[in-house]
Amino acid sequence: MAKEFDDLDGFELTADEEALLEDLPGLSELGEARRKFLGQAAAMGIGSLAVNLLAHEQLFAGLDLAEETVFTPIAEENGVAVTLKINGAEKALTLDSRVTLLDALRDRLGLTGSKKGCDHGQCGACTVIVDGRRVLSCLTLTAQCEGKSVTTIEGLANGNALHPMQTAFIKHDGFQCGFCTPGQICSAVALMDEARNGEASYVTADVRGKAKTIQLSDEEIRERMSGNLCRCGAYPNIVTAIKEVHTGKPIDTVAWQFVGAREEKDAAI
Amino acid sequence: MTSKNTFIGEGVNRIDGLLKVTGAAQYSTDFPVKNLAHAVIFKSEIASGRITEIDTAAAEKAPGVLTVITHKNAPKLNERGGLRGGAFLQSPKIDFHGQSIGVVVAETFEQARAASKLIKVSYEKAEGKIDFAKLASTAIPSKNPGSADAVRGNVDTALRAAEYKIEAVYDTPVEHHQPMEPHATIAVWEGENLTLYNASQMVNAAQTSAAATLGLKPEQVRIISPHVGGGFGSKGGLWSNMVLTAVAAKMVKRPVKLALTRQQMFNSVGLRQRNRQKLRLAASKDGKLTAIAHETVTHTAIRDEYIEACGDCSKVMYDTPNSLITYRHVPMNVIIPTFTRGPGKATGSFALESAIDELAYQLKIDPIEFRIKNEPAKDPSNGKPWSSRKVVECLREGAKIFGWDKRKIEPRQNRQGNYLVGYGVGCGTYPARQRDSSAIVKLTRKGDDVNASIELAASDLGTGTHTILAQTAAEVLGLPINKVGVKIGDSSLPPAAGSVGSVGAASFANAVNDGCEKITDELIAKSGKQFFVRPTAAEMMVSENLTEFQTRVDAKPPANANDYSVHSFNANFAEVWVNDATGMVKVPRFVAVTAAGRILNPKTSRSQIIGGVIWGIGMALTEESIIDPRHGNFITRSFADYHIPANLDIGEIETIFVNEEDKIVNKMGVKGIGEVGIVGVAGAVANAIFNATGKRVRDLPITPDKLL
Amino acid sequence: MRPFKYTKAGDATSAIKVVSATETSNFLAGGTNLLDLMKEDVMRPTELVDVSRLSLTQIKSVNGGVALGALAKNTDTANHPLVRQNYPLLSQAILAGASGQIRNMATNGGNLNQRTRCSYFYDTAMPCNKREPNSGCGALEGVNRNHAIFGWSEKCVAVYPSDMAIALAALDAVVKVQGRDGKIRSIPFADFHRLPGNEPEKDNNLQHGELVTEIVLPKNNFAGKSYYLKIRDRASYAFALISVAAALETKGNVINGVRIAMGGVAHKPWRAFAAERFLAGKVANEANFRLAADEEMKAAKPLEHNKFKVELGARAIVRALTMAMNGGREQAV
Repeated sequence: MAKEFDDLDGFELTADEEALLEDLPGLSELGEARRKFLGQAAAMGIGSLAVNLLAHEQLFAGLDLAEETVFTPIAEENGVAVTLKINGAEKALTLDSRVTLLDALRDRLGLTGSKKGCDHGQCGACTVIVDGRRVLSCLTLTAQCEGKSVTTIEGLANGNALHPMQTAFIKHDGFQCGFCTPGQICSAVALMDEARNGEASYVTADVRGKAKTIQLSDEEIRERMSGNLCRCGAYPNIVTAIKEVHTGKPIDTVAWQFVGAREEKDAAI
Repeated sequence: MTSKNTFIGEGVNRIDGLLKVTGAAQYSTDFPVKNLAHAVIFKSEIASGRITEIDTAAAEKAPGVLTVITHKNAPKLNERGGLRGGAFLQSPKIDFHGQSIGVVVAETFEQARAASKLIKVSYEKAEGKIDFAKLASTAIPSKNPGSADAVRGNVDTALRAAEYKIEAVYDTPVEHHQPMEPHATIAVWEGENLTLYNASQMVNAAQTSAAATLGLKPEQVRIISPHVGGGFGSKGGLWSNMVLTAVAAKMVKRPVKLALTRQQMFNSVGLRQRNRQKLRLAASKDGKLTAIAHETVTHTAIRDEYIEACGDCSKVMYDTPNSLITYRHVPMNVIIPTFTRGPGKATGSFALESAIDELAYQLKIDPIEFRIKNEPAKDPSNGKPWSSRKVVECLREGAKIFGWDKRKIEPRQNRQGNYLVGYGVGCGTYPARQRDSSAIVKLTRKGDDVNASIELAASDLGTGTHTILAQTAAEVLGLPINKVGVKIGDSSLPPAAGSVGSVGAASFANAVNDGCEKITDELIAKSGKQFFVRPTAAEMMVSENLTEFQTRVDAKPPANANDYSVHSFNANFAEVWVNDATGMVKVPRFVAVTAAGRILNPKTSRSQIIGGVIWGIGMALTEESIIDPRHGNFITRSFADYHIPANLDIGEIETIFVNEEDKIVNKMGVKGIGEVGIVGVAGAVANAIFNATGKRVRDLPITPDKLL
Repeated sequence: MRPFKYTKAGDATSAIKVVSATETSNFLAGGTNLLDLMKEDVMRPTELVDVSRLSLTQIKSVNGGVALGALAKNTDTANHPLVRQNYPLLSQAILAGASGQIRNMATNGGNLNQRTRCSYFYDTAMPCNKREPNSGCGALEGVNRNHAIFGWSEKCVAVYPSDMAIALAALDAVVKVQGRDGKIRSIPFADFHRLPGNEPEKDNNLQHGELVTEIVLPKNNFAGKSYYLKIRDRASYAFALISVAAALETKGNVINGVRIAMGGVAHKPWRAFAAERFLAGKVANEANFRLAADEEMKAAKPLEHNKFKVELGARAIVRALTMAMNGGREQAV
């Protein structure tokens, strides 16, 4: 884990969440690995999250779902052979020249974390990190990714530890429906490097001068995250989560207030 | 070990959070179904008329194509099976631009999409009813009693007599829900039984409408929808894409996946209709309202009717002896409208709260004081007492926190550099209701370790259903929250209400609460023992040495709820900065004060309120769907043209809850917050823009061109 | 998206040869607009030649100016010290466009080749002369709020969507392209894009198969006083209603040199030559800026739904020049 995240390490999650993460076999592959992990979680009887994950898993136990993470080869036209790294693992694929990186991840590799929100580069839900930079997988042909290294939401956790950005999103409720979340988090993770590299934005007051590491204001975070739409409206929480990771300083989670008298007469009478 | 911790009302993290931040949460198209074929819908390119010829030969011959389905070969479907907007592919008739007219199924998504472009369709065009501006004068009354004229006193007499009055027309455009997850389905047949992985706000309604449309018994259809990628009303009603996926899977004898494209979302799953609202308000010199007339003209579909209730807020917000609420509508060749976040209230409150602001300005009374002067002691529309109503607290507390005292009553008094700054307020309301919901509570024990499982066909579209149900069960059962599993989003579970109309939290949480109380009662009864202090269910499992125990409850809303007027209320405070050259508006600060009964989880509730505020800001400033009046197609047909707010559009939003204990609304005192959060927001923003610029914009959205 | 053959280009010459050989082939660089249009079935190439790995990515000093590799990413261009220091106008303009993700993918050459965002062009159910010559213009008498006020024809009223190119127009950039004969030719920026005239299907003056290799920014003295103003319907991630790239060079209070280019108003980046002529040698103040803007707007011919662009355009010119005079250091939104 990067050094600058040390301050944030470990205190945000509940004991249950921590316990669960201890037992993660790595979140880089779904499907079989996920099933195995959930089985272990069940056997050990850990954590609210585990119980809830299991609840889902049991619910779908009778369904005839594929166990393999890599699906059977699919008919192709204008086949292109591509070798690329996905979440650290080398993958060799032969696919239709038309297959976007997003569809390869979702339909060919079983990595359904990256989402198809618009398929036209207008929402950011498909954001992944290619060779260290956030890009839109829906507007990237897989064929263009030969030799490249792709990190998806499934590959952000470092072994047994969530990426601090993932933790901060849970802590600050940086999502509601969760559909845009993988893209938001990949985008935010790459944004940390952009700030470190001193990259400018449209709200940077003066773009002149030598680029050096910059501290992002809330407004800077908002502008730089504007390529990731969220229809539930989690933006303020997303900004808080990113700010916490960016500054390395914990931010209080109680962002609401109750007012008015707490006790009152029974209104029914 | 058991615990008596308090969980209800605590801001606990979402229990599905880990799934969502790791990409492991499974939405409809994320299920790894074997042997999947891919389908793409194609659509009508005229608004009205009929298909004379549909040439599918080239598509059928294209590589990978398994079948092409049109009205010529589609199976007969029950058109009255409960799908919104119709089942389609049943006849060559076209009622709106973008009506689904066929489906291509192929081995891969790429092949299906490419083949769908090879379909050639000839039409016989009829003259469509498309141009609302021209048709508005032909609007007719509805036959639906819910949209009948509501008259109290005589507004015309009151208006004639009044010294202070305003009459103004407020226009709101067509809007679209556009949840981030497009409507999508995977259909799997096993013999005559059908499983639909289908994003649904109402799991049971999806099941019954799919079954009825396909001519199946409900028990032959299973809906699976554990996580819904946003809905906002569009996934409340079920649309033809779901059933067409099932038809496709039946025809190719394989599981089929079909997701609407973002472009198709504009004419497939409803919309918020355009409303033209005429408001006439009258007041005495001392600021007492004497009349509110709220007359709405809108449009609906050719084949079916939906009218959102824009006049609802005007019925209950302010005290007036004379009131008139009417609706007129034009059937148009446009997809049927449907409930959209804060249906009727979001748009209606924009008109009402703007008009109130206009009249307060005419009276030179502070708009907060004007509202408080007209606070009704009971529901003016029906004379019923309020179960609880804390509008005044919302206004007073909000004003303090917002710093309302710094606002000047005259516009254009606050300039900051290139910006004109203004403050505005707007109130809102939404009815609170509980609906029938059943639930199973299961307890299991190994040693001292007791686990609970909560099962019901509820849904979670980001509202936090999983989490509030775990909180409720943990508290009532006496378990740590980590011992509660929540199974929802599956029609094979006990039937539950939908996540619609702000009934979800009240209906689900009360059912779970009742179920957990019931299982405790049953465990006590089973033991045959007497207790001075009521033990928890968890304690009973241990003391009675039980390994498994379960119960089912069928929860109903309280019998006397109809004797009261039961609503959530809010007050919204906006600070806007208007660029004096470009007309671009920003909202750096917003305070939303909500009185909505008991808040089960302030963390997730705050998020919902913020979401509502952002929807309201979008409504006020950026969102508009435009129809070409010649063709009936949407000119705004992607996220590049239909502007939902982006991160930079949103500033700080403070969320304040008013403590409110309401024992009438339902046992848990939950009113629901999903809808009310948007109500009053657009009015607050528009009023702030008037305060900043002196310009009263009565047609939304308030884009830069309107502020020149 | 129709089936297409995908090939990776080994070098520019062979890429040009392959694309030149087939009328229905295209270069593929960042793909951010091309793939979008292919999914919409607006563009139907049968062959894509991937040039994204060619070495045309350098950004370097040339004769006191700067040369931008055609395949340098927008992000790298906007953030290159030479650009930020000497052409802050270009940095701002690039950063005003699209989103961080798209700028990481999109290339400079691709940016110049992006196509209009006109809804009638994108919607294959609608008539559009640009997409399908002689099918008619849907926007001319349709919904045309976002369309041109300058230089349009009965055939096409679309606007060119780039932000980057507006700054390049103001900076008098030169576009270098390599043709099928292997020779490099230079196109002054003002001649790169076209007005629609009778051939709206042609966005620019490139021949089929010609590849943009470099964009050259000549030396200038505008770095101290420039500003890119973008007016749009939402604060970010939206195309411009109107944008203005403004750059000034003053001696005392008097304007020595001025460049103004507008986006969102025409089929190409619109150089406001009339306003520039008016301002030459005048005192730099708001009154003169407004007179200059009005001078420019005399030629405006708005359509039914975009009449507001005349006043908004004038205000945008004034505000952009004012911001430029202040050093262009104020926050944009």
